[in-house]
Amino acid sequence: MKIAGKALIMGDNVNTDVLHPSRFFSLDDRTVRSGFLQAAAGYEQVGGSDLAGRLIVAGENFGCGSSRETGARAFLLAGVRAVVARSLARIFSRNVRNLGLPAVECPSLPTLAPDALVELDLVQGRLYVPAASLDLPLVPLDPFWAKVLEAGGLLPFLGLGDAAGAPKLGASLPVYRGTP
Amino acid sequence: MKPQTLTGKILRRNVAAPIVTGSEFFRIPVDLVLGHDATIALLIERFKKAGRRIWDPSRCFFAADHFTPPSTPERADILHRYLTFMKEEAVAEDLVYRGISHQLLIEDRRCQPGMVICGADSHTVMAGALGNFACGMGSTDILALLLTGEVILSIPDSIRVDFEGMLPEWLFGKDLALEIIRQLGEGGAVDRCLEYHDRTTGGLPMESRFTIANMAVEAGATNGVFVPDDALRRYLSERDGAAGPLAGFEGAWLLPDDGAEYIQQLRIDVGKLRPLVALPGDLGRIVPAEEAEPRAVQQVFIGSCAGGRLEDLAVVARVLRGRRVAPGVRLVVTPASQAVFHACLRNGIFEVLSAAGAMITNSSCGACGGIDKGLIGAGEVCVSTSNRNFRGRMGSPEGLIYLASPLTAAAAAVTGKVCDPRDVLDDRCLRNFHTDPWPAADRMSGGVA
Repeated sequence: MKIAGKALIMGDNVNTDVLHPSRFFSLDDRTVRSGFLQAAAGYEQVGGSDLAGRLIVAGENFGCGSSRETGARAFLLAGVRAVVARSLARIFSRNVRNLGLPAVECPSLPTLAPDALVELDLVQGRLYVPAASLDLPLVPLDPFWAKVLEAGGLLPFLGLGDAAGAPKLGASLPVYRGTP
Repeated sequence: MKPQTLTGKILRRNVAAPIVTGSEFFRIPVDLVLGHDATIALLIERFKKAGRRIWDPSRCFFAADHFTPPSTPERADILHRYLTFMKEEAVAEDLVYRGISHQLLIEDRRCQPGMVICGADSHTVMAGALGNFACGMGSTDILALLLTGEVILSIPDSIRVDFEGMLPEWLFGKDLALEIIRQLGEGGAVDRCLEYHDRTTGGLPMESRFTIANMAVEAGATNGVFVPDDALRRYLSERDGAAGPLAGFEGAWLLPDDGAEYIQQLRIDVGKLRPLVALPGDLGRIVPAEEAEPRAVQQVFIGSCAGGRLEDLAVVARVLRGRRVAPGVRLVVTPASQAVFHACLRNGIFEVLSAAGAMITNSSCGACGGIDKGLIGAGEVCVSTSNRNFRGRMGSPEGLIYLASPLTAAAAAVTGKVCDPRDVLDDRCLRNFHTDPWPAADRMSGGVA
């Protein structure tokens, strides 16, 4: 299973208040969606205004800060397909994976050009950037997270409910879990 | 078994096989789950679809602190849904409207050393000051926990932090918390525990310890835990009185083993630190207050789970006694809990603060979370005792937030600018502060000069 799309490039230590300010905290998906990246001026380089289908490509400690899950949900609602960062903050990475959205770490990730086309291969555990001739290893997902993503989120993995609406990765996807 | 850290010991007590083959994640039974109106509201609809009840309502520590009282119709609706959910699931309502959940947790006998506590809020980590494993999570993790009684966690490696030396009267838990983040960086403790050992002369005040543990998450830590000691024993003895520890927690406290392996060690001589501030934007730039540009301030906020305790309000009152807040500065004071609120009423602290020009609000998360009662506009500068100075956190993305100790914040309120409190205060106002924050002689009299 490969996830390809335009990158939305973000920097280091991008926090949850920047990704989704608390004033967009809501039970209404339209409000939650409208808050996505609303305090992010200067943190991101967005080429086009359309965020749907993009992969977030970020630096260190992406998503640090709050546990508010509206922030993670906004990624789904905006149509973001995956998050790749040099490193991920703990609560945030749990939140997005729990909702079925792949979030992976790629420590050797350089800063890419805005809108670069990237391809994430969760089976092989690689990130490809064709225009820059890059083929980078991902940190292997723990088998627990691999199963959660295969199932479409934590609740379906535990048999406690449906996926939250993330694009399903496929019922029997052999998510990469080798050593890099 | 090889020697273990305190967190390893607490988490491994009831752990069996990994959740899936080859995984480092385990199902871990939880003693107490913290919740509040905002983040529990996010899970109610999915909870109902699961068609089950909360595994054990008596283990739910549910406060209402975000939208209290509500400032918009939508927030009133969120709060109402939450309170209805609590009733339906027979969760005790005694904590509702009593203050910030994290502060209520450390004030409450239901929170004991050695527990596994998970909360639907990142600052749940503060309870680790009482020698337990306390960690924050998102709503989906908490939803699964409410249905099963378990969370799925890996056992974090620990960074050992040793505090040494003697705490000067003008230094606070906030300064120490900022020093740890300055040394480790914002992501320096991701997926790790911060295990604090207090080896200072005279010990760190418990209220400072709470602030230190509270900000473990600002270095990315899974949890922060103070090794239980006599100071904790005294605190719990005063808090729990004759009732003593909860059933199941009466025995000897869990302690880290000698020879436990730490992935990193910090030694902090508290006697050598200067008051620190975090410059606006994030926690990546932490500098001594005396080196910060003396920028004019429009708001000072004393509040939040990191900086709204009795110690914090008492030091502000000591500084403001006989003084006025500088013209053009709004001083917003939000006690962390009703217990703190009442203590300030009884002690005359509110009289001093109010006479100096402070605006005092009810106990809630308020300005810290950008919710209400003290938001900042574009170009405004706020010095805050809270835990996050993120862009847009307290209102406009163009507002600037400095994080500082209550003393440094009080000095900003008096001078109208960011400054080192030692430059503007005479020593007398802080005499014996850490041993007796608000002397009996000042109580009830109000101490208004």
